[in-house]
Amino acid sequence: MKSKTLQIFLSETGDIGRFTYRFFVEAFKPRYEFSELLRQCFYIGYKSLPLVAITAFIMGLVITIQSRPTLVEFGAEGWLPKMVSVSLVREIAPVITALICAGKIGSGIGAELGSMKVTEQIDAMEVSGTNPFKYLIATRVMATTLMIPILGILADAVSLYGGYLGTNIHGVVSWNLYWNQVFDTLTFGDVVPSILKTFFFGFAIGIIGCYKGYNSNKGTEGVGRSANSAVVISSLLVFILDLLAVQITDLMRLT
Amino acid sequence: MATVNFRNMRLGAFIIIGTALLVTALYLIGNKQNLFGSTVRISAQFHNVNGLMRGNNVRFGGIDVGTVESVEIISDTSVNVVMVIEKNIQQFIKKNAIASVGTDGLMGNKLVNINSSVEDSPTVEEGDVLKSLKPIEMDEMVRTLNVTNENIKVISGNLRTITDKINSKNSLWSVLMDTVVAENVKSSLVNIRLMSNHAVSITGDLKGITYGMKNGKGSIGALITDTTLTSRINQTIVKLEMFSDTAAIISGDISGLVKDLKQGKGSMGVLLNDTTLVHNLNTSIKSIESAAGNFDQNMEALKYSWPFKKYYNKQKKTNSKK
Repeated sequence: MKSKTLQIFLSETGDIGRFTYRFFVEAFKPRYEFSELLRQCFYIGYKSLPLVAITAFIMGLVITIQSRPTLVEFGAEGWLPKMVSVSLVREIAPVITALICAGKIGSGIGAELGSMKVTEQIDAMEVSGTNPFKYLIATRVMATTLMIPILGILADAVSLYGGYLGTNIHGVVSWNLYWNQVFDTLTFGDVVPSILKTFFFGFAIGIIGCYKGYNSNKGTEGVGRSANSAVVISSLLVFILDLLAVQITDLMRLT
Repeated sequence: MATVNFRNMRLGAFIIIGTALLVTALYLIGNKQNLFGSTVRISAQFHNVNGLMRGNNVRFGGIDVGTVESVEIISDTSVNVVMVIEKNIQQFIKKNAIASVGTDGLMGNKLVNINSSVEDSPTVEEGDVLKSLKPIEMDEMVRTLNVTNENIKVISGNLRTITDKINSKNSLWSVLMDTVVAENVKSSLVNIRLMSNHAVSITGDLKGITYGMKNGKGSIGALITDTTLTSRINQTIVKLEMFSDTAAIISGDISGLVKDLKQGKGSMGVLLNDTTLVHNLNTSIKSIESAAGNFDQNMEALKYSWPFKKYYNKQKKTNSKK
């Protein structure tokens, strides 16, 4: 039984690898589906903004409020903007964005492609001469890869604004002083790796969602299962990628 | 198609805002680290940099003006620190400024402080090497603190015994606590103040007097300042000496004379010592008195007698004319 689970796990990993390879092959071949890419970008990026912004704002506010007592204990209340900005920009905003998108976009892609697969729309597309991989999958994966970083940047900004409000609940930190302290603390070593890793988060979310949707079977039941597993695996992958990214930046001494 | 356009516009705005935020953030961070804008490189050599790192701040007059670009060992006793300073700060940093490694707060990051010297000097230029100050080492500080603590321990022990002694009765403290003594001290202080006031006025007077004396005013002044007077005084003294000598001789003679007189020697002695003579003298003086009275009467009578009448009238007239 155990060996069978391992077999399934390994074969699925291999499948995902082959799927990724196929994506790179198809995506960079000419005849680009540009308008479809824009459409997907709109739905994935623009439509996710309110959700991401609200989450990021709340996280910024909450992290600030929660960090205060510890800093007050050390008499380092003035360090609140510095500490909050580093933790938000380096870790919280990118990961929260990726997780929210894994939930919203990953499940959406999984369900959409899964139902297309189950209702044999994909097969019909292939018969009609359109490359379904190019049209459906390449555009979606590229859209997530490009949109999640932008959502991440906006989440950074919104969460830092939440942090500003959070610091002003008990203390008084002027608008100028807050941003001055934030940018005084942040370095390229904080910002650049955190932006770069959101590209990988986006790519992982897109590729897992598409893989699960594209390979769904067993009728309508399979649609739900593929949507579910797309969310689970992409969320897990976000954390694994985050771990790798942090270790690499640490090794490169970009901290 | 219009909806697609509108959708793309919104997507465009979304992407532009996102990238603009990223670019702004990166620019602001870069600005803080002096990656943009013109800069000047200067360096300083330290014996010990206490963990100064690339990217640490450089402060001039307490303001962040640049960052540390590199820290490298150049020999067994010196470390070269290259600093990147903002170009518009360059004019304020002189060649004789002193660089020192410090700490931001007690536990904060290391930084380089550049402090100006008092003397004037030309402004610093690209590639100049500043003089450096030995940084404060935490170890050394703690070691010194340890010695200080030992000393404080001994001192506080001594202080304790001293305060114990003061607190005990029959000591200075009881005197200090006595209110009568305090009152006395207060009144004597008042007296001292009065006295000193008087002393002040007296010295003022004295000053005036001495000033006058110096300038030859007043008799004492004249005496002191007149030089001819002293010679005269000398002469006078010589004469006085002579006088006193003769006076001594005279007094010697007088004393001899008085002795003789007392013993009834000589006519004067006889006269003084003889009591009968005194009686005789009394009677003779009485008879002289009566004789004089008679003579007065005679003279009155003579006034009105013919030969002398004319003369007296004439004398009366001259007296009344006056």
